[in-house]
Amino acid sequence: MLALPAAVFACLLFLVPVMILLSEAFRMDGSWSLQGYVDFFAKPLNRTVFLRTLKLGVLVAGTAAIIGYAAAFCIVNLPARTRGGVFGLVVLPLMISPVARTYAWIVILGRTGIVNNAIVGLGLSDTPVRLLFTETAVFLGLLQLFLPLMIISLVSAMENIPRDAIPAARVLGASWVQVFFRIILPLTKEGLVVGGTLVFTGALTAYITPAILGGSKVLMLETLLYQRVNVANDFVSASVIAMILIVMSFSANLVLKRLASART
Amino acid sequence: MQFRNLGSWLILGATLTFLIGPFIIIIFAGASAGNSLAFPPEGLSLKWYLKVFTVESFRASFVLSMGLAIFGTLAALVLGVPAAYALNRYKLPGDEMIRTIVAAPIIVPGIIVGLALLRYLVVPLNFTVTVALFFAHTALILPYAVRVVSSSLNNLRSDMEEAAVLLGCSRVQAFFKVVLPNIRGGVLSAFILGFVTSFNQVPVSLFLSGPGVRTLPIDMLSYMEITYDPSVAALSALLAFMSVAIVFAAERLLGFSRYV
Repeated sequence: MLALPAAVFACLLFLVPVMILLSEAFRMDGSWSLQGYVDFFAKPLNRTVFLRTLKLGVLVAGTAAIIGYAAAFCIVNLPARTRGGVFGLVVLPLMISPVARTYAWIVILGRTGIVNNAIVGLGLSDTPVRLLFTETAVFLGLLQLFLPLMIISLVSAMENIPRDAIPAARVLGASWVQVFFRIILPLTKEGLVVGGTLVFTGALTAYITPAILGGSKVLMLETLLYQRVNVANDFVSASVIAMILIVMSFSANLVLKRLASART
Repeated sequence: MQFRNLGSWLILGATLTFLIGPFIIIIFAGASAGNSLAFPPEGLSLKWYLKVFTVESFRASFVLSMGLAIFGTLAALVLGVPAAYALNRYKLPGDEMIRTIVAAPIIVPGIIVGLALLRYLVVPLNFTVTVALFFAHTALILPYAVRVVSSSLNNLRSDMEEAAVLLGCSRVQAFFKVVLPNIRGGVLSAFILGFVTSFNQVPVSLFLSGPGVRTLPIDMLSYMEITYDPSVAALSALLAFMSVAIVFAAERLLGFSRYV
């Protein structure tokens, strides 16, 4: 009874509209068909955007995992007093508007930004280099946006590694590479699955970062969806993209879970 | 050992510079005395920080965003607290189903939610954009409200309210007199998390904007498409300070991080 209002609200004002939207691409001229999907993938631009989104998602999640492991390992080994402060600094960006977080990259990568001032100042190039509206800019923005989620997941996973496990392995002659693959990785893989899903899904479904740092030169699925609706009133493409985003998010979670349970 | 310490400080230093550095840059870029966005800024002044307050559209959208964040979160709590209580204390038929439904808004990308509400609520049913925004933000915060309140209910033993009922309270009285005061911290934390989430939310609001109805982040996005001056940097810095101050105060007063 008590849970009913919340469930009804979420159903009526959320699930039902979203479901109708998703079904739209399957309906052509009143009958069910997959034509909307066929048409969508027939366009080279759409395929490029799809593959780019997938690529950036994997790259951002992979890079976040590498940096995340290094940073989380350092944080866990800090003395208790400094640890809270450092962890707080990692979490801090999550509280700040993504618009603000992404806007900073315009200042860094723009024509009169830090990097270009340095390039021109050092005489490496006479004119400013185009750094904004590139995949690199979107990659950096997304990484900065979602790295904290990976670090948080990995820190809480690493806290559960028994204190003596790593020194014991070292004493018994394991190299750091062996320690990582035989002890740290197996014991933190659940954190990696959570962090990886959060970062990958976040990167797939981010709108602001590709909109500001990629513009129409580096479209991703979200910005493509916005463009299709606003410029062309193309709701079939919007529905297809919506379905792709949801399926990709769910499969990322499934695949990572499968990988984690495969190598024990 | 000394070397490893140095190495780990280098890694942490680099990571934190990457995560925090951009804000420092934005604070200074906003404090520029010049008229274009640059770093290092052309001299320091507070003129852009002051200008932000005089831009009419920023004022209007700030009020809308504030209202959405406050009332959307309150609505989400009104729906979410009883739901969390019921899911936590009683074995309900289909409770897994309810959990999934209530958590769904977190999984579905915001831009899709916004588009779906625009297409099927605003256009055919004549909802105003503001009402649709309010619903969308409430739906979006609901999962956080349920999760945070649930975790604080988990820490509260149920024999307290059983005792209250045995001593003559009705179930409702027991909830308001015993349960609610004890999960106050969790409810407040849920409010703050919801507020910050809603205030910073962009994708959901993207399609849900009409003439004169724009949330602040959306307004900033369209402002920066037209103008290339440091005022968005200044506004970003101010908003960042606001969020950080709220969360910092919450952490000090409530131990926010225990609940989230």
